[in-house]
Amino acid sequence: MQEQLIAPHLSQYAMDDFPCGTFITDAARVIVYCNSYFSSALKWQHDALIGKSADIIFTPASKVFYQTYLIPTLLHERTCEEMQLTIFDGQGQRIPITVNVQIDDSGFIYWSFFNASKRDKLYEELIQARETLEEQAEQLKLLVSTDELTQLLNRREMKHRAILAIKQAIRSHYTIALIQLDIDYFKKINDSFGHSEGDRVLQHLGLELKEFARKTDLVSRFGGEEFLILLVDITQQDTLLFCQRLHQLIAKIKIGNSHVKVSIGVTMNTADSTFQSLYDEADKALYSAKHLGRDRTVLYAEKEL
Amino acid sequence: MQSSDDVLKRNNVKIIGNGPKTLLLAHGFGCDQNMWRFMTPELEKVFRIVLFDYVGSGHSDISEYSKKRYSSLEGYAQDVTEICQALKISEAIFVGHSVSSIIGSLASIKMPDAFSNLIMICPSPCFLNIPPDYIGGFEKQDLQELLNLMDKNYIGWANYLAPLVMGATHSNELIGELSTSFCSTDPIIAKNFAKATFLSDYRHILKEITHPTLIFQSNNDSLAAPEIGEYINKQIADSELQLLDADGHCLHMTHPEQITASILKYINK
Repeated sequence: MQEQLIAPHLSQYAMDDFPCGTFITDAARVIVYCNSYFSSALKWQHDALIGKSADIIFTPASKVFYQTYLIPTLLHERTCEEMQLTIFDGQGQRIPITVNVQIDDSGFIYWSFFNASKRDKLYEELIQARETLEEQAEQLKLLVSTDELTQLLNRREMKHRAILAIKQAIRSHYTIALIQLDIDYFKKINDSFGHSEGDRVLQHLGLELKEFARKTDLVSRFGGEEFLILLVDITQQDTLLFCQRLHQLIAKIKIGNSHVKVSIGVTMNTADSTFQSLYDEADKALYSAKHLGRDRTVLYAEKEL
Repeated sequence: MQSSDDVLKRNNVKIIGNGPKTLLLAHGFGCDQNMWRFMTPELEKVFRIVLFDYVGSGHSDISEYSKKRYSSLEGYAQDVTEICQALKISEAIFVGHSVSSIIGSLASIKMPDAFSNLIMICPSPCFLNIPPDYIGGFEKQDLQELLNLMDKNYIGWANYLAPLVMGATHSNELIGELSTSFCSTDPIIAKNFAKATFLSDYRHILKEITHPTLIFQSNNDSLAAPEIGEYINKQIADSELQLLDADGHCLHMTHPEQITASILKYINK
């Protein structure tokens, strides 16, 4: 009904009067029609477009996008709305645009282009804001999971990751070791050499532990001068060897004229271990190491302790 | 640390065929192991085929996705080496599409014993133009714009992705068939994968490739021109380039018979 009211020559005028670009491409993506918006607003000569591939107005990135996303969407949905692309105007300037496109049964594609320069600025700001938020979230995550002084995992993160690692080990049938390490006479270090020297010892120790452990192990400062380490997929023999080397490594850290010494409590998991049970066992073994004269490792064994 | 079972589940590893030699098929950006479906029926008659999805693609375990690990191709190469470890693979033929050719090269340098040959389908070590010696095909501004368009079309993007630039001259039926929604992917992850793919420059690793390598390049590929194939061929010590008179960047999907036949001929040589 509507079509009968508009004379054919008027519909041509109407297309040219619309404040947006319209063009039609055939099944080979060749432009068969474009309205005068392309010459009036986008500085294209009519002849430079008609009979040419639609590719000539798209930037290289838009071409990739057009082939990988716009065309497939069109083929599946028959229509595609509000797609953001970039085109070149007749003088080679990049213009952000929004396109609405639909395809008919003969493969002709009907395009409408809207200049999106202002909207593009808004998108840019939104993307920037999202990236800033992502970065900040990463930083915050790092802050809440890291011990400020040693850069090792802090107590909260260690507990969280250790619980997962223990469950994983039990599920996958490999053994883990939990090591609790405490600096001997740390209070005396602080009292005699000052807290900043105490901090230096903690930092140095943290660095040594981090370098010595494997990437898959968890290393944390669990409290004041207490460090908690979880070794993944390791035998009891290798764990004790690891502790023996730790004593040697840590003894290289000097404080005044003497060397830093540590006491270590170790336990290995069983099929029904939990973080709390392993922590209690390592703690008992550590207590025993202290009781036996410090500067040693004690392996938790239920009957002996 | 992941157990073997965890790795196989994480990367949705599937094994078909039971030939004496293992073929590891690695998909490219924007799709998953389904892209090999045109080649596997013939190949599985001869090889044991290992298929997988990179973490963040296809039916991999998305909870294992780490933005940091997968911000570079080394993170994806780690998926490959971990799969090889989990399956105790040695002397396998690695077949990678596009960016996976580079991922496979990184894996082969890291774990040489796992592989016997590399087969690259439409590879590019660097998409950037770095004049005067190297023309990757894109200016930095173009690649930034591509990533930008992924962001700006965030809602809806990646619902129907045609495996990266199949070539404009293929029929609508083929494009429609190859871009069904199983290729759809998480837009944020896809964008990070795109970033790792398009903004990287791995030309320096080509000289470190020691495995015999077969390179397939298409004559008309808007993402990787024939010159890029020639460049790679010159850099790798023991390589062979096959230029196909074809259109597009997905030869294994648009010309599967030709690629399969060439692979069989190359391996039986």
